[in-house]
Amino acid sequence: MNQKGITHSSKTTSIFDSTFKKLSNRRSYMMLLFILGLPVHIVTFILFLLKKEQYQQPYRKAYENSKQEIVSKGYVEAWKQQFLEQENRKASFFHESLSKEQINKNVDLLVQEKLQKEVEKQVDLLGLEEYTYQNFFIHLLQNKKFLIVSAIPGLLMYSFLLLYSNPFVQFIFERVIQTLFVILGVATLVFTILYISPLDPARNILGVEATPEQIENFNQLYGLDQPYFVQLWHSLSGLFTFDLGTSFAGKEDIMASIANKFPVTLEIAVFSLLMAIIIAIPVGIISAIRPNSFLDYSFMILALIGLSIPAFWQGLIFILTFSLELNWFPATYNPQNWLSLVLPVVVLGTSLTASIARMTRSSMLEVIHEDYIITAKAKGLNERKVVFQHAIRNAMIPIITVIGLLFGGMLGGASVTEKVFNISGIGSYIVDKQFIPDIPAILGGVVYIAITISIVNLIIDITYAFFDPRIRSKMKKEG
Amino acid sequence: MKVISNGKLLLKITQEYGNAHFTLSFSAIFSFLFLLYSFNFNSQTVRPIVLTLFLIYLLTTLYVWFISKQIKRDLATSREIQKRTRLLGIPLIFTILVGNIFSSSYGFTLITKNKTPEYIFAIYAFLTQILIIGISGLNLFKPYVVDSFLLAISLFIALTIFYGVMLVLVANLVSSTFAPKWMLPIGIVLLFPLLTGNLFSFLLGFGLIKKARNKDASSIEKWQKMWRKILSNSMAVFGLFFIIFMFSLSVISPWTFDYDFATENNYSAILQTPTLEYPLGTDDFGRDLFSRIVFGAQISLIVGFSATVIPSVIGGTLGALSGYYGKKTDNIIMRLLDILYAIPGILLAIAIIAAFGANTVNLIIALSVGSIPTYARTMRATVMQISNYEFVESARALGASDSSIIFKHIVPNSLAPMIVKATLTIGGAVISTSSLSFLGLGVEPHIPEWGNILKIGSTYLETHSYLAIFPGLCIMLLVLSFNFFGDGLRDALDPKTN
Repeated sequence: MNQKGITHSSKTTSIFDSTFKKLSNRRSYMMLLFILGLPVHIVTFILFLLKKEQYQQPYRKAYENSKQEIVSKGYVEAWKQQFLEQENRKASFFHESLSKEQINKNVDLLVQEKLQKEVEKQVDLLGLEEYTYQNFFIHLLQNKKFLIVSAIPGLLMYSFLLLYSNPFVQFIFERVIQTLFVILGVATLVFTILYISPLDPARNILGVEATPEQIENFNQLYGLDQPYFVQLWHSLSGLFTFDLGTSFAGKEDIMASIANKFPVTLEIAVFSLLMAIIIAIPVGIISAIRPNSFLDYSFMILALIGLSIPAFWQGLIFILTFSLELNWFPATYNPQNWLSLVLPVVVLGTSLTASIARMTRSSMLEVIHEDYIITAKAKGLNERKVVFQHAIRNAMIPIITVIGLLFGGMLGGASVTEKVFNISGIGSYIVDKQFIPDIPAILGGVVYIAITISIVNLIIDITYAFFDPRIRSKMKKEG
Repeated sequence: MKVISNGKLLLKITQEYGNAHFTLSFSAIFSFLFLLYSFNFNSQTVRPIVLTLFLIYLLTTLYVWFISKQIKRDLATSREIQKRTRLLGIPLIFTILVGNIFSSSYGFTLITKNKTPEYIFAIYAFLTQILIIGISGLNLFKPYVVDSFLLAISLFIALTIFYGVMLVLVANLVSSTFAPKWMLPIGIVLLFPLLTGNLFSFLLGFGLIKKARNKDASSIEKWQKMWRKILSNSMAVFGLFFIIFMFSLSVISPWTFDYDFATENNYSAILQTPTLEYPLGTDDFGRDLFSRIVFGAQISLIVGFSATVIPSVIGGTLGALSGYYGKKTDNIIMRLLDILYAIPGILLAIAIIAAFGANTVNLIIALSVGSIPTYARTMRATVMQISNYEFVESARALGASDSSIIFKHIVPNSLAPMIVKATLTIGGAVISTSSLSFLGLGVEPHIPEWGNILKIGSTYLETHSYLAIFPGLCIMLLVLSFNFFGDGLRDALDPKTN
């Protein structure tokens, strides 16, 4: 039992010191580690200064010894000759006329550099290392007692080191931080755009006859008279605490409206996505297996038409044919009637279906010409097996990324479809609010959609790293 | 010379045979559509004009089918298309008079064996001009025409004859590497019809000048190769044709179309169904839908091009800097662009328009800002790849500065993916423009723009559906053309996809 405990602890200590060694080579990480473990570092740095005299001695001595050894063996003279020849040749090649002094200076510099390198190599062979703070701290980290004592004041630093000890965890952590940065940036950007707007919501709501006092009162009520950073802070904290106050017009609770409308949009978007995947991937695969056939041409022309058709026009034509002429589906959306969902889902999903089908085709075509597919065929596998077991799995990777990105575009484009079918989703909410402009409502709508998209993409990226062995091995190599 | 013995392979590589099938299917589709439209289901009557069109298209289809059989027989017996079969193409040329651009251009390509890019340009310059005359000519049925109408039409007729003559000359005298010296001044003259928007004429002139000067054989070879690749893709050619036709139409529309018909209210002619005076009917203010759509093309093309050029320049520069310098610069630029990338383009555009108000300039800015990151990413990826090539290293060894390396060596070599990307995204910009106008967030409502026209149309969907159908069809066709051309361009410029 005891034995086991020791090996275990030595393993964790080795995680800390090896990760520290890795990270401390990069200046920005070193700074971060220093700040995170500040209480620990203050104490250890004083210790480092106190013990400096004691530990620096052996290294210095060994350094001097090996230096003298190299000089006495006459290596330095040989190097000098070599470098002199090199410099002369260089000068003659570039037709430069350098004075003897200059050349000697260059040669001296080169010799010194080489000498230093050689000496360091020698000392390194002896197993001695220079007494720096970095090395001192790594030694401390190898000490179990030190770890226990410093565990609480250095908690932040140690958890950071733990995060970075595994390349996969490190990847997830960095990706999450990046997403947070993007979300914060999006909120700031959208707020800034709305803040520098020359339009005046107060005038638009109160009317042209409003007195200056009324307008001032309005601006005060919604905090519009405050400086930029105060307003920005209010908006950001409002966004992240889910409390955006009331809208300018109608005085309704913005968060409640968004919470009501968001699921509607999301429902239609998810159904469209499902429809797109179910139709597009088989179509793309069939086209890729029989390239340049009649079926391939028809599918791809259809896909291109699907990409080129404006969603709102397609919606109008669908309403005209399927609602007004044929009476199959209702023309406007009604949450109680699932039939009314069909037309909006098809319209919203059309361009997505077309893009995914084209992407699937090109991705499959690329994979089908890889060597391992030829190997599989040469092995005597039938075509079905080759396509389903070897080709599709590898072709899916870029397709999934594209689906993630397009899903975002679809959420954004939903506003047009929602307007055509009179759906009270988040998209049409934003459009309705923009005429005033109702700053917190637009901000909330746009930022929450952007957050949804960022999170979807984050999840896709992480799942990838989890499932794709190629990405995992690449991460390990880099880490 | 190699002799291809396999008959099937010979059929496959004979362009005329493949194109015959292409023409055949499109003529068949159109005759089917005409057949459908020839019967008015509501009033149970036959539309005689449409029925005639249907018959002509049907005849054309059968004729092309006959030609394809002839070609097949020729190839089987003598391995090449006989002169007699080639002459069968002549009657096909005249189908342009009923608007069958597919069979007409096929007729032209069948007649001669010598198909240089210049010949193809001459064909399409000719066809574009004829169609422009036809479309402008519809104004003759209006109560009056603009003052410049007669002058413009006679100029177009002169140009058409000029292109016709060039067609014969190019077919007989210009080869893939050579053109007679005296064609140089003609080539220069051919550059000027660019002012009427006829880009085909410009391309023809440019090609002729290149070949007549006969100075740089490799550049002629490059020109020849690139266009041959693009032009061998029929869909791409028709995409290009429709784009240039629309462009030309929007350039010349102020000379032959009266803007008043598109904008002035005429309460005596409200919501009329299509007639010769109003080829596509009128809207709820009595404005001529046909003129409105023609003038709408202008706005759509201007917004589409600006919203593509501006972000590709800004995004391209940022991407090039980011890709070339790497490390910190790359990190800062790309992380900032990630923020823009996280907001869907349309939503960002809505937010910007909400802040600054709805008008054309704001619309262009709004659409441009949203698409900067995609261009930056494309450029960055290409530049990163090219920065590692030897010619960049040698430029650096010769002491070139960073800016000259980027803009003289790297950027010109990484333009191809950007051009393809831009062509493929103009269509998206056109759709976004009309979508935003449809929502009341784009072009000002009084300007005839396709989205605005559709917005009015959507309120009369039940009673006057043509108000919504025609502008939508135009948007779709224009976007489709950009997509087809972009696909063709990508296949021609990017060897990887082949």
